[in-house]
Amino acid sequence: MTTVGSVIQKSGDPMISVPSGNRFGRRAAPLVVLAATFIAGCAKDAPQDTWQPKGTNARKIDDLQRWPFGIAGIVLLIVVAAVGFAVWKFRDRGQEMPAQSHGKPALEIVLTVIPALILVGIGIPTLSTIMDLAKTSDTECVVNVTGQQWWWEYDIPAQDGCGGIPEPIITSGDLVIPSGMNVLLRISSRDVIHSYWIPALNGKRDAVPGRVQTLRLQADQPGIYPGQCTEFCGLSHANMKMQAIALNKADYATWVANQLAAYEAPAKDSAAAVGEAAFISSCSRCHQVNGLANTDGSLVISRPDLNIYSGAAPNLTHLMSRVTFAGANFDLMTAGCRSAIYDATPDAFGAAYLAGVSPECLNVVELRQWLRNAPAKKPMFADPTNLESTGGLYRGMPNLNLTEDQIDQIIAYLLERK
Amino acid sequence: MTISERQVGFAGSTAGPAAFVTPSSSMGAFRRPVSATGWRSWVFTVDHKKLGIMYGVVAMTFFVIGGCEALLIRLQLASPNGKVLSASAYNQMFTMHATTMVFLFVMPMAAAFANYLVPLQIGARDVAFPRINAFGFWCFLFGGVFLNTSWFLGGGADGGWFMYAPNSGTAFSPSHGVDFWALGLQITGIASLTGAINLIVTIINMRAPGMSLMKMPIFTWMILVVQFLLLFAIPVITVALFLLSFSRIFGATFFDVGQGADPLLWQHLFWIFGHPEVYILVLPSFGIVSEVLPVFSRKPLFGYKFVVFSGAAIGFVGWGVWAHHMFASGLGPISVAVFSVATMAIALPTGVKIVNWTMTLWGGKIHFTTAMLFAIGLIIEFTIGGLSGVTHSVSPSDTQQTDTYYIVAHFHYVLFGGAVFGLFAGFYYWWPKIFGKMLNERLGKWNFWLMVVGMNMTFGPMHILGLQGQPRRMQNWTKFRAGEGFFNGAFWNLVASIGSFILAFGILLFLINVVKTARNPERAAADPWDARSLEWMTTSPPKEHNFDAIPHVHALDEFFHRKYEEDLATGQIRLVSDYEQVMAAEMEHADTNIHMPSPSYWPILLALGLPIVAYGIIFNLLLAVFGGVIVLVSMFGWSLEPSVADESDFDPPSDSGSTKELATLA
Repeated sequence: MTTVGSVIQKSGDPMISVPSGNRFGRRAAPLVVLAATFIAGCAKDAPQDTWQPKGTNARKIDDLQRWPFGIAGIVLLIVVAAVGFAVWKFRDRGQEMPAQSHGKPALEIVLTVIPALILVGIGIPTLSTIMDLAKTSDTECVVNVTGQQWWWEYDIPAQDGCGGIPEPIITSGDLVIPSGMNVLLRISSRDVIHSYWIPALNGKRDAVPGRVQTLRLQADQPGIYPGQCTEFCGLSHANMKMQAIALNKADYATWVANQLAAYEAPAKDSAAAVGEAAFISSCSRCHQVNGLANTDGSLVISRPDLNIYSGAAPNLTHLMSRVTFAGANFDLMTAGCRSAIYDATPDAFGAAYLAGVSPECLNVVELRQWLRNAPAKKPMFADPTNLESTGGLYRGMPNLNLTEDQIDQIIAYLLERK
Repeated sequence: MTISERQVGFAGSTAGPAAFVTPSSSMGAFRRPVSATGWRSWVFTVDHKKLGIMYGVVAMTFFVIGGCEALLIRLQLASPNGKVLSASAYNQMFTMHATTMVFLFVMPMAAAFANYLVPLQIGARDVAFPRINAFGFWCFLFGGVFLNTSWFLGGGADGGWFMYAPNSGTAFSPSHGVDFWALGLQITGIASLTGAINLIVTIINMRAPGMSLMKMPIFTWMILVVQFLLLFAIPVITVALFLLSFSRIFGATFFDVGQGADPLLWQHLFWIFGHPEVYILVLPSFGIVSEVLPVFSRKPLFGYKFVVFSGAAIGFVGWGVWAHHMFASGLGPISVAVFSVATMAIALPTGVKIVNWTMTLWGGKIHFTTAMLFAIGLIIEFTIGGLSGVTHSVSPSDTQQTDTYYIVAHFHYVLFGGAVFGLFAGFYYWWPKIFGKMLNERLGKWNFWLMVVGMNMTFGPMHILGLQGQPRRMQNWTKFRAGEGFFNGAFWNLVASIGSFILAFGILLFLINVVKTARNPERAAADPWDARSLEWMTTSPPKEHNFDAIPHVHALDEFFHRKYEEDLATGQIRLVSDYEQVMAAEMEHADTNIHMPSPSYWPILLALGLPIVAYGIIFNLLLAVFGGVIVLVSMFGWSLEPSVADESDFDPPSDSGSTKELATLA
């Protein structure tokens, strides 16, 4: 209601101003009802509403699209009114056979030129907006975004931008950006074509293997902005989600520092320490945890390329600093804790997000299900008996056949990966 | 009266029929089919009317199949985290739903109308190449059946009807579904291509004397434009499908990024075909309503020339807008700008049609038959689809809308509200022509209103769902992303699902109507609608040779001008002769010796070889060789066969050298 209502106030959409008492009333009345239903129909707080821009790029699109939508509404009304009037007025009432008129070229030409002029009126701002949204010269922060079945990896290269990134950061699930800054995503893919879309911040851009394509993002305020992969990418396309997290400058710096913090091994003999060993034996073949070391002190380096067709798996170094897992498809937090972040005011958002996932807040039910049998939780191409087409490599996470004890230990370990 | 159905054998030949050795009898394997009744008269027919009916029956069957697939999709999406279909089954379902509706329902249903009506509308006795016509039908049927056997042989195609590379490669789609899809569409593509050439030649060469292009019925005009679109579009998709098949089956690397390929190649090839395809689907229906609206408004089509030229303009500009399907693909701003402008431009000729239809109604004397209701319904529903199309042409706005349900809403308003409504208008309008019986008008009106309510309930809410950010091709949706409040995504998804069942019920009423009508012994009048064009200036259903006398055409709407006269002084229209009188006048110069092509085994046999080759390519190359032999033998047999059967093929053999008399069908 909120957005659409405001759109109509601003552009003066006449859809709702048709009086129902005039002679078109009989036919126009249901239309008014329809229009009202449509307006009321836009859900409150649909998180991916394309008419609720929260940043400059999305706002440019929104400003541009009001006119075509408004004009389309007017034209539809005119056509419906004209057809409605004609079929009512000229219905067979026993009148004489009408004159066999073959047309009026002058009228045809007028009725072609008018829409042509309207289209020119729509076309000119369209062209300038296209150029505007393709600009990259005002970039203040760069993030490399890579899609693969069925999750997104974010790699923030070391740079002076973004308020300073001293060392590269690799994460997934949450795209964390500084609010107010012009962020440029450099988007690519490791397997099929995906499409990156945060509706509140900009339109979509396809992630095409072999190409790097750019997309501008800017969020006015700190907050969480959900999106979804929008190019059909195979079996679990519906479960390939993402969200952009915008943090103010100070909070973003805190987040960067935390992402680059040195690895803290679990306390000796704790459940987490047992979990670390289980993680090394079961998970780290694919999932990297930066700084994780074997008992002999050598670093554990994951080799997802040996197991996964796309050659990548999410980096879990700071899993519990995120709010989702498994391609941003499942919440890491229980509903109550989750709403503390999602419903936070822009001022309070940063602190709530940076608190990360506490043991009390962990959505342990779904995480357990995931670890017990991942392909049952989210459709993936991970049946080891059926990997002929990929030469034995998985697309997605297989069932690791972990015992319940191992699952508990690994969760205890992961809970410390903040 | 009786009419000689065939030419007088080879009586003119000095050797006489008995001694004249034709290739069909010299090959000795079998005699040529000549039955005029029974199943053989259908299977081996080359009659454009029988083929038209068969196209229609098979397309309707696929419509029901594609509709059931759609209902399963809507069941799955009725509630969050739907459990009706697995992710894999869902992906196959939406792929096959689109493929079936586009390639196996709307295209062949338009071909059904074109096949049946074009020769009648232009005053011809058949199409230019009757056997190729039959071959085209069998290619369509066998291709469609082949495509659908994939369900039982490891699963249907699961890459979406757009089948984007590299997701369509074997690594990402290991079942044979995509192979079936690529090869099946190659086979149905042969049907479209041969049909296009056949109809173009027919329309250009075989019009009745006096019928200049600008006196040609508007439906035939739109079909002519569509055939040119097919002629140039089908080769493009053929190339794409060929590359895809070779990549999947023989390991070619056309779309392999690791080998330096660019997956956008597929998208360009697909949409250079795919966008003209939209006009291929919708222009026949534009032609149908352009016939129906004048008849039931008792007025000529307003601005006939504008409608003709706007149709042709759509045919041209339609080639320059394909990349608007790729605004999010990363074409670069210049390409995007160019295709944005071109897409806006194509709104103009489309708008011209809406204006002309509305102005045809204006000042008329409107009869609300079911056919007319569907035609009026098309104007409104298609306008909605056209206008949402204009909002996509604003490419920055499209980057928010593309691949959401807003697009699904848009093209269903265009293809259901446009193409399908037009086809239904055609069913009700031409049913008495084709079957000699009237479809029940009462059931027809229920059929219409349920379809209107059903389609708006199904596809209307999808506008809202899309603008609220629900992407398409999603096996499930979640409560969180559906938003809060009563009118949230969950509500609209449920409304759409309920609507889809109302829509299906409306279509079911049509099928019931068909059965009811078939059982009703009552015959329709020969000119029940007081129609305007040539196809009504003969019996219903027409005889095998269509017209006893080839009509001489003096005006657009020839039949109307035979029946009515305009008083130049007062502008009043007077009935001067009715159907019977017009026909009686025609009979005065009826032909007595009519040359009709004979049935043939070769078209169906040749077409049968193609799916065998295709199964062979997928499963065993030896089988492909066997299919190839069938194809080769059939080609030779066909090319050695004369278009008219030898006398000795008839059973019992006719009297030497005389004309074989056949009772007329009427």
